[in-house]
Amino acid sequence: MRILCLGNDLLADDSLGSIVAEQIRQLAPPNVEVVSTAESGFHLLDYVLDTRCLVVVDTVVSGSAPPGTIYAFHDHELQVVPGGSPHYVGLNETLALARQLGLSVAEEVVFLAVEAADCLTLGAEVHPAVQEAIPRLLGMLRNLMHDGTPAVAAKDPATL
Amino acid sequence: MPEGKKSTLQQQEGAAKANAQRHITIDPITRLEGHGKVDIFLDGTGKVERAYFQVPELRGFEKFVQGRPAEEMPQITSRICGVCPTAHHMAATKALDDLYHVDPPPAAKKIRELIYSTFYVEDHALHFYFLGGPDFVVGPEAPAAQRNVLGVIAKVGVETGKKVIAMRRRLRDLIALVGGKVAHPVFGLPGGVAKRLTPEMQKQFQEVAADAVNFAEFTLQVFEDVVLKNSDYVSLILSDAYTHRTYYMGMVDDSNQVNFYDGSIRVVTPEGAEWKKFRPQEYLDNIAEHVEPWSYVKFCYLKPVGWKGFNEGADSGIYSVAPLARLNAADGMATPLAQQAYAKFYSTLGGKPVHNTLANHWARVVELFYAAERMKELADDPEITEANVRTLPKATPTEGVGIVEAPRGTLIHHYWTDERGIVKKANLIVATQGNAARMAMSVEKAAKALISGPDIPEGVLNKVEMAFRAYDPCHGCATHSLPGSMPLMIRLRRQNGDTLATLRRDFNGSVHRE
Repeated sequence: MRILCLGNDLLADDSLGSIVAEQIRQLAPPNVEVVSTAESGFHLLDYVLDTRCLVVVDTVVSGSAPPGTIYAFHDHELQVVPGGSPHYVGLNETLALARQLGLSVAEEVVFLAVEAADCLTLGAEVHPAVQEAIPRLLGMLRNLMHDGTPAVAAKDPATL
Repeated sequence: MPEGKKSTLQQQEGAAKANAQRHITIDPITRLEGHGKVDIFLDGTGKVERAYFQVPELRGFEKFVQGRPAEEMPQITSRICGVCPTAHHMAATKALDDLYHVDPPPAAKKIRELIYSTFYVEDHALHFYFLGGPDFVVGPEAPAAQRNVLGVIAKVGVETGKKVIAMRRRLRDLIALVGGKVAHPVFGLPGGVAKRLTPEMQKQFQEVAADAVNFAEFTLQVFEDVVLKNSDYVSLILSDAYTHRTYYMGMVDDSNQVNFYDGSIRVVTPEGAEWKKFRPQEYLDNIAEHVEPWSYVKFCYLKPVGWKGFNEGADSGIYSVAPLARLNAADGMATPLAQQAYAKFYSTLGGKPVHNTLANHWARVVELFYAAERMKELADDPEITEANVRTLPKATPTEGVGIVEAPRGTLIHHYWTDERGIVKKANLIVATQGNAARMAMSVEKAAKALISGPDIPEGVLNKVEMAFRAYDPCHGCATHSLPGSMPLMIRLRRQNGDTLATLRRDFNGSVHRE
């Protein structure tokens, strides 16, 4: 199992990924690999290969929920690639591409995403509501590590 | 838009006619990925008067770097941008050379350029196959469901896809061998590089470089087979839709040939004649930034020509950067096979300069060829393994400018420090700014063709998006990974800010009217 934490620690709420990575490393058993990176899109290819189960931690700014809201979902719950932005290669497209090319992609991919307030201000503090989400997120990750098999069949993150 | 609101909208629409202008915003609602934001202003009759493209800018850069040692800049700036860290690292390192008045030894310069060429092969290849490919390899007229990375693979074949992935891996491993993590390069220092290239490392570079040249040849063949043999594509490149007659800017060597790492900045007129060639340190005499009251985007223009609004032609200071601009601004390519590809590019497209924005995809393949050949030249250079890779800075730092050609265009770093090398002020002009005005003109062309009155037609999202996508704008430095389609929101507004109607596409790809 690999926990892939995304985000740039220079950019306000975007620091979430690296903060979570640092904390979850202390708790992770030897069979769980923790990776933290500020890379994006197609550059994430290397991180989705050669593990059975991948958990992605990231921030989103959807504007449709208050900062600190946690979304949990499987990759197959996301929009299928066709019909997406023709230009952009995101993590979902990277996964689809890697699968189509027959690479050894994680069989199970779970996203834990936290609604952020600001990911564009250099050197700014993490929003208090986003900070408050961290212990809950760590709890969810602990459950995932404990089970070995992510149990995010339900969209409700409360099930974790 | 719910039915019940329609009559209200019509009433508001009637009232809004009294206003001189209305305002439509196509606004990203997340930073998950492409951050394009499009502002469209309507005149009193509902016709598009002006449209502007903008990307959200990072805030607080000036404040963040003030008081930090200048030597941290190559690390800080490359960490800010997750898309092209190597370009920022290189521009910052060159700015430090200038700041400390130090000239790196020949081997150090060659190592830097070798790494930079390696990065270019990777970046241009990924762009051609996976980012530009959906519009170009698959085709803008293809059904939306096929215009994605999977459609590209369907067209070029799984084996080709695997070839690209394998090449990418080898190139990245080489960058890491010298520069540390690709996302956080650490090799550039004022006056040189941190690590010499051993003969063993040189051998690895030589092997991959030879394969990179073959890979470039293969890619050009793919382009010729898939694109050039299809007359529809060629006429699309030449179509008027995204054509603008502007100035072009790019870095050139002493023979006026394209160079990504070092040289002078050359600008040609819309007719293709040299307008000026200047040293990086003279950029402030030649480039100025225009600010519109409604936007935080700074639109670059040629200072001596002046800002004459969003207009093309020799009287308007608007210029363009990136692959097509670099080819237009130079007299040729410094390596033989790339030069052949360059000559064919212009003979097919009717001579220099080429004004068709969609030709950027082809220009990128020509540059990919040059980057691979240059990588091989440098890897084969016996001087590159010399042990002396650092000239120690001794002079008191003052100010420094570093310019490189990033894959997306001319990238400028400028720092001012105190005598201890502590940053007092920093100025960055990123590639996308160089294209901002021209992109706005393309978006405006598309918007004028599609929008008339307060209704927002469904197709407008993709067509307007295509207008700026052709420029490959770097969508800010916080672009991320999570899923789906580029979130966009078009808001139709009265001048006082009241929203008349909203069309929104979420990141799960669903479209809502509100």
